[in-house]
Amino acid sequence: MPLKRSLKESIERLSSFQSKYNIFTSINPSPYSITNKKGTKETLTGCVASIKDNIVTKDFPTTCASHILENFKSPFDATVVKLLKQAGVHILGKTNLDEFGMGSGGVHSIRGPVINPLYPHEDKKIMGGSSSGAAASVACDLVDFALGTDTGGSVRLPACYGSVLGFKPSYGRLSRFGVIAYSQSLDTVGILSKKINVLRKVFHTLDKYDMKDPTSLSVELRELIEGNKKVRRPLKVGIVKEFSHESMPIGFHRLYLSLLEKLINLGLEIYPVSIPSVKNCLPIYYTLSPAEAASNLSRYDGIRYGYRDSELDIKDGILFAPTRSKFGTEVKNRIILGNYNLCSDAFKNNFIKAEKLRVNLIDEFDGIFRFPNVLTNSKGNPDGLDILIVPTSSKLPGSIRDFEEEEAKSPANSYINDVFTVPMSLAGLPSLSMPLKEKTPIGLQVVGQYGDDSTVLDFVESIS
Amino acid sequence: MLQLARFYSLARTKAIHSHGAPFRPEYALKCGLEIHTQLNTKNKLFSQSTNSATSLVDAPNHHTSYYDIALPGTQPVLNLEAILFAMKLSLALGSQVNSISQFDRKHYFYGDQPQGYQLTQHYRPFARGGKINLSKELDDIDESAKEIGILQLQIEQDTGKSHYTETDKDVITLVDLNRSNVPLIELVTKPDFSDIKQVRAFIKKYQNLVRHLHISSGDLETGAMRVDVNLSINEYARVELKNLPNTSSIINAIKYEYQRQVELISVGDTSSLMEPETRGWTGSSTVKLRSKETTIDYRYMPDPELPYINLAQDVISGVRGLMPQLPDDIMRMLMKKPYQLSLKDAKILTYNSNQNDMYNHEALRSYYLDTFREFSKLAGERSNAKLPTNWIIHEFLGDLNKLQIPLARAKEILPPPVFAQFLKLLHEEVISATSGKMLLFHILENFKQSNCQDLSIPDFSKLIEKFELHAINQVDPQELMDLCNDVIAQHTDDTFIRNLVTGKKKSSLKFLIGQGMRRSQGRIKANEFEKKFKEILNIQW
Repeated sequence: MPLKRSLKESIERLSSFQSKYNIFTSINPSPYSITNKKGTKETLTGCVASIKDNIVTKDFPTTCASHILENFKSPFDATVVKLLKQAGVHILGKTNLDEFGMGSGGVHSIRGPVINPLYPHEDKKIMGGSSSGAAASVACDLVDFALGTDTGGSVRLPACYGSVLGFKPSYGRLSRFGVIAYSQSLDTVGILSKKINVLRKVFHTLDKYDMKDPTSLSVELRELIEGNKKVRRPLKVGIVKEFSHESMPIGFHRLYLSLLEKLINLGLEIYPVSIPSVKNCLPIYYTLSPAEAASNLSRYDGIRYGYRDSELDIKDGILFAPTRSKFGTEVKNRIILGNYNLCSDAFKNNFIKAEKLRVNLIDEFDGIFRFPNVLTNSKGNPDGLDILIVPTSSKLPGSIRDFEEEEAKSPANSYINDVFTVPMSLAGLPSLSMPLKEKTPIGLQVVGQYGDDSTVLDFVESIS
Repeated sequence: MLQLARFYSLARTKAIHSHGAPFRPEYALKCGLEIHTQLNTKNKLFSQSTNSATSLVDAPNHHTSYYDIALPGTQPVLNLEAILFAMKLSLALGSQVNSISQFDRKHYFYGDQPQGYQLTQHYRPFARGGKINLSKELDDIDESAKEIGILQLQIEQDTGKSHYTETDKDVITLVDLNRSNVPLIELVTKPDFSDIKQVRAFIKKYQNLVRHLHISSGDLETGAMRVDVNLSINEYARVELKNLPNTSSIINAIKYEYQRQVELISVGDTSSLMEPETRGWTGSSTVKLRSKETTIDYRYMPDPELPYINLAQDVISGVRGLMPQLPDDIMRMLMKKPYQLSLKDAKILTYNSNQNDMYNHEALRSYYLDTFREFSKLAGERSNAKLPTNWIIHEFLGDLNKLQIPLARAKEILPPPVFAQFLKLLHEEVISATSGKMLLFHILENFKQSNCQDLSIPDFSKLIEKFELHAINQVDPQELMDLCNDVIAQHTDDTFIRNLVTGKKKSSLKFLIGQGMRRSQGRIKANEFEKKFKEILNIQW
């Protein structure tokens, strides 16, 4: 196909997808990035990617889909963006998201909700969030891969709803420098793609120590992890009792059972396992993450960048209230909840308790994995498991209208969507959501011990 | 500069005048200090920006990085130099350095607080305990000894600065973030102070300590060191005094506040003293800034991305090994044998006054000690300790100031062994003190005239020869007689002689001796002159 025609078609395709599904917050349709010239087998050169709009870029505005950061352009690139550019990746644009990454539907954006492209002819369905645009850009084949961020499931849930791969690596492996913080103790850069080999190449390109990120996994610990790797045969796979499989979407069980059958045929051993702390995960998550969010979002006062009330900085004696009233409803909810959790009266009862319970959860994970945890100095359980498989979502993508109605009743209704994804976020574990069937929004997470990302990737590749 | 609408006002109240009333024993003062000290690290606490917050010549917002202005996506990276400095201070104060400490976020909105929170150490501070000992001997307090306990030391970020300017239409705030994220140590003392002298002595001593350790300029004027006062009287509620820019405001604010509370207590009007409050200093009075009801909840939260400061014991003992001798020990050493310096001279060698461009106290001290050692070697057991003191601290320094020669340069032609030789000449009375002064000044003046380029070491014996400065041991009796007659002829009349000879004005003899010394340029000693004058004038007393 002549380049000119190909360009024209690509541009038309891009703009039609954009107007239908509201994927991007900004686009740079250079000839390279829209003709979708794939990378070679070994390198990413020529690959096309999208970047979630809470990761800063010099070449595009970075808005977090928030009124507060309208027209904000960062003077520097996030480390992950810099590494991709160095690898010869073309960046097509910045993708839509739930404001500041807060939400599981992909609907809380100043640019409007992202529409799920798996349902082109039906009532508008949610994409899942918060990396909603990232998942949609991959599902529509506009890019080879997308970078998202995952705090409590924000890469894995939309990946599941878009029937693509969504990988949240171990916390600390990918630099967070330039990722706009929602909740730093959980925020993780994630990768979405349809192809496991592309996803793996991106992971290897980005999996580097960054001295600018104080939570980046150190070179010493990376080496320690490498040293702990040995061939584990047969691979032991665990199914967690506490992740109830009742009330799963129609179609889930049949797909799930056929996968288990496949695993058994491959010679893998499957065990049931109990992680009692899983039941505490949502309360822990919704205590810690809003507290961190309230703190992180304190900097948006409009003085140095971003939106500012042009008349007032102060109202009724409260500094910056006129400017900060421009946060969206969900962000405001979490700021209020977070500040409540941090109040001196509530701090001990809520925040400290949640941190303790989080440590208990990590201990329980350490107890069931065979691989050592270099962060906690757990030596690993010699009889333990190598992989856990956990559903990604208990629901299929609903209509945007239903989602918004539910949320209007109580914001907590949408928090329940995170029930399967939050435990791995709290423990910092590598977790990859893979579709159980092509073009079907049913996904399964493959979870490894902290640092054991390669086992997760190998496993997914072996059954793809 | 960054701007925003005014959001600061200071309520003014009617001033009460302190009459300089003394502290009264029935109203016991209990006082503690909170001192913020800027560390003079090369970079800021969590960024690579240059740390030169106090440099007045710099443009506003010049020393700022993406992190300092809290751009989205930036992260803190801890400056380890600040940790080293904090360890030095903790060890110098005898504080217990915690093996694990952490940073916490203290939240409040303000124009010069770009993150919306300050990183500090609330839950687990860097160090606890420790003390500063004050003594009558060294610190001019009334008690023979007084211990001021330290509660804790914490590392934290400084904020930016707000400047309030009034235009025709409006009052605006200008924000300068040069100071934002400069490392601070907050030190909190126990409420151990019971009078003003102790406060003054403590501040001076602490200030000197941080200078001595080279961790801060310690200047109150530039805000490198800032002091808040906690004060209560007879167990009434604690009042915190802020906005105290220098030692005199600290002292005057305490005096004023003491007086104010005493007046309230003495008339029984103590309702306002039941709840803690924060008061500011206007320069002449203290005014209420806020009370307990308006205190904000800082919503402290452990920082979720900064790692703990995890200090192994061998790191702490390693730093202990790097510690210099502390000022009190140096003072005591200098005031004991063999040096036997006066308190004043010992202070010149120990305390950094930051006031002299020609030398610093440390270089001077080591010059003094080295020269003393060399001189003792040369002069042996009976060497006179006063000689190095007088000649280095007074004569030599005086010359350097007069000629504007830095000590470091002068040291090139007069290294300690050479200066010790010079002292030996004086010690053995090869030259008189007067000749010595002349000789030293001459050597330095020549050096200055060569633009400090002529680095040849002075040859004392040649110079003594050249200027005929040899003290005369065998005085030529005729020369002495002529000199004395000359002096008498020139400087006296009959009344003068009569008053002198009768003993009515004995001091006149000293005058004549002085004139004789001057005429002989110090080569002939005073007692020779005294004998001769008495002989000539037939003085019997």
